[in-house]
Amino acid sequence: MDPVSRSAFDRRHQGAGRWLRVLAAMLCLVFAIPSRAADESLEYQVKSAFLLNFTKFIEWPSAAFEVPDSPIAICILGEDPFGATLDQIVAGEVVDNRKIAVVRIKRPPAPKACQVLFLGRPEKEVAGLLPSLETGVLTVGEGESFLRDGGMIAFIIENRRVRFSANQMAAESAGLKISARLLNVARSVKK
Amino acid sequence: MSIECPRESRCSLRVRGWLGVLCLFVMCVPLAKAQSDANATTPAALKNLSLEELSQIEVTTPSKTPVAAFRTPDAIYVITGEDIRRSGATNIPEALRLAPGVEVARIDANNWSIGIRGFGSNLTRSVLVLIDGRSVYTQLFAGTNWDVQNTLMDDIDRIEVIRGPGGTIWGPNAVDGVINIITKDSKDTQGMLVSAGGGNEEQGFANLRYGGGNGKDFSYRIYGMGFTSGPEYHPDARNFDDWRNVQGGFRMDWKRQRDTFTLQGDLYDEEAGKSVGATSYTPPYSQTIDSNALLSGGNVMGRWKRILSDGDDIQIQAYYDRTHREAANFAEIRNTFDIDFLQRLRLPARQEVSWGLGARVDPVNDQVVVTGLQFIPNQRTDYLLTAFVQDEIGLVEGRLALTLGTKLLRTNFSNDIDLEPSARLLWTPDDKQTIWAAFTHALRTPSDGEDNFNLLGFVSATANGTPFFARFDANPNFAPEQMNGYELGYRRLLGKKLYVDLTGYYNHYHDLFSEDFAGSIFLETTPAPAHLLLPAQFRNGLLGYTKGVEIAPEWRPTANWRLRGSYSYLHMNLGKAPNSGDVGTAPIVVGSSPQHEVTVSSAVDLSKKLQLDLTFRYVSALPGQLVPAYSTGDARIGWKFNRQVELSVAGQNLLQPSHPEYGGDPGPLVGIRRSVYAKLTWTR
Repeated sequence: MDPVSRSAFDRRHQGAGRWLRVLAAMLCLVFAIPSRAADESLEYQVKSAFLLNFTKFIEWPSAAFEVPDSPIAICILGEDPFGATLDQIVAGEVVDNRKIAVVRIKRPPAPKACQVLFLGRPEKEVAGLLPSLETGVLTVGEGESFLRDGGMIAFIIENRRVRFSANQMAAESAGLKISARLLNVARSVKK
Repeated sequence: MSIECPRESRCSLRVRGWLGVLCLFVMCVPLAKAQSDANATTPAALKNLSLEELSQIEVTTPSKTPVAAFRTPDAIYVITGEDIRRSGATNIPEALRLAPGVEVARIDANNWSIGIRGFGSNLTRSVLVLIDGRSVYTQLFAGTNWDVQNTLMDDIDRIEVIRGPGGTIWGPNAVDGVINIITKDSKDTQGMLVSAGGGNEEQGFANLRYGGGNGKDFSYRIYGMGFTSGPEYHPDARNFDDWRNVQGGFRMDWKRQRDTFTLQGDLYDEEAGKSVGATSYTPPYSQTIDSNALLSGGNVMGRWKRILSDGDDIQIQAYYDRTHREAANFAEIRNTFDIDFLQRLRLPARQEVSWGLGARVDPVNDQVVVTGLQFIPNQRTDYLLTAFVQDEIGLVEGRLALTLGTKLLRTNFSNDIDLEPSARLLWTPDDKQTIWAAFTHALRTPSDGEDNFNLLGFVSATANGTPFFARFDANPNFAPEQMNGYELGYRRLLGKKLYVDLTGYYNHYHDLFSEDFAGSIFLETTPAPAHLLLPAQFRNGLLGYTKGVEIAPEWRPTANWRLRGSYSYLHMNLGKAPNSGDVGTAPIVVGSSPQHEVTVSSAVDLSKKLQLDLTFRYVSALPGQLVPAYSTGDARIGWKFNRQVELSVAGQNLLQPSHPEYGGDPGPLVGIRRSVYAKLTWTR
């Protein structure tokens, strides 16, 4: 329907009053289900915001970057559950005088290419991959088992909210310092 | 702001023609508005939130496929707090209708018969019920007094319903199921909540909650609530079942690095109208009394949990619970002290071991109100000692796990140490399906209702005026009821939108409760006056089996429409053991649980502000209660004006003016009425 006839239709029905709206709502109910923007991705929107937040509370050694003013690269290995949200969230952000970049990668990253590495599922591959990573990379994954496999920060859904647990030992042995502020919010910390 | 239907909209012109046009124009205006209210969750807004704020956003519609439940070798179903809110259920028994395979039949306004896989009764004797780990199963008559299990419905985080035996972990009396009611952590109930409303059946209710804390490691909440409801429909106009409650409580949570400490408590005072039979040796011998039972009580519980390392933790929990029941035919004060210890540890070769110890002591004081109903002795101390160990062995990592365990228990009612062993096998061939099988031995311990209880029934007056009674005398030799359960389950995710849960079971029972003749009629002179007595006793004379199938599919056609269904089939076959003198209890037990139960429910978010929930249920006849099959439905519409205020209207049992669901009260069957209430909720 073109805009002209749409507004004509609108005008004709403007006086129809509230009952029409109620009637329409009922008809929609019977014949169709109106949708709103899906909430399904909210989980990953929140996780995106967490990823950005993590960069603010982690201290990387300078050796973790290619050149002194390299951006902080958040790499997504394999399947990308974040979509455009992550890009929107990090757009224009500057942390510690560094820009933030989002990089989608298919293979384990080259040295110094990633400062944050998000590893989604499947778990089996993650367990095999973690020990082979260079130092200076903050590894983020999902589920308590991610920490057992040597990951540093794991997202955990608890009470329908996104929480995270941290493995301080793993981070320290990779040369990363996690600030106390981040650890305070963590659900549990493995030392 | 552009006025556009969201991409996913099904109200498109192409699909629905002219109706769609109507939808498009009329619905889009509120939709566009709703989106502007939802700004808190746009990427731009999210990036400015602190870590703490991010941790508070609810991200999963709680109903999302229960991931943990998906990989459990039990027939578990999780009713979430959101499910309860959307159902419009105003109390715990009504909320239990949301779980497949749970038979909930309302007897009157304050009485329910609840059962899982058969054995429905007003005490739910073969199901263990816990609230935050506190057992509300009483050894008085063995079972749960549903009329005093109230809490602020908004505080419930979830109700885990396990169909089938759960004795190894959960303790005795979890023969046919476990109902585990879990309230929210106080950090998830911050701020103020006020709600109030009323209708024809729920005549009036008000709830108040406030939560605070230091924003870091300490949080708390306090609540107060009250309601007045009933009566249901009585063909004889004896509207006895009015019900009033006043209740308050608190919860505090501390969280340190490795330690969590919780302290919580409740206090309640109730009047619940009951119709009870009262028998005495003196005239008028037998009468039905309609009066209010005075019910009061409270509890306080502390729990400390320490995480020793990943996968290893210990927990100690202790509580005190007091219940006081004062009815027209008997009265009881019971004080329960309970302490439990639990440890979980990870061992080599993919083993996760849990073990625990528990002790419970109940000093009881029963008062004689009518001579025909007495506990002898009337002051006693019941106790329960338990120990359990369970090992979950990962045979093939992430794919095949075997869980072996047993409980050992000892009560004041028997001289033996009883065992409740179980073996469960879980196979997850891939991430989309689960197959599990279990063998479990479970038992119901004897109770005061069998061991110390004397119940008189008036039969008739003989020709010369001597009264003729029958009496169930205490049976100190009553043995635990025994059950061997065999279960097989399958769960499957079909794509992202369809989830199916299928369970079959075969349970064999022996030593089940029976009502036996215990001798021939004689003339008893004490207590006076002299009377003819037919002696009887509660014994363990029934045995048999149940078998059944439960199917629970869930389908999400769109992001904001959820359809759930469930069908349960139950076949019970119980009879007398060869030497039993049972008077005919088996057909009543068999005929008091429905053979078929069907539920279909739809939950739709019409917009960000408007939610509509519809439920239909069919329950087959209960010949043991003379209740015919019925179908009825519930509906609720919730309208969120803004972030703080929600108005909802809920209707229950809408398909007929009233229908009976269960017998149980003296007199004609009580009809459960069509009811409607409105509720206003304000949160801040």
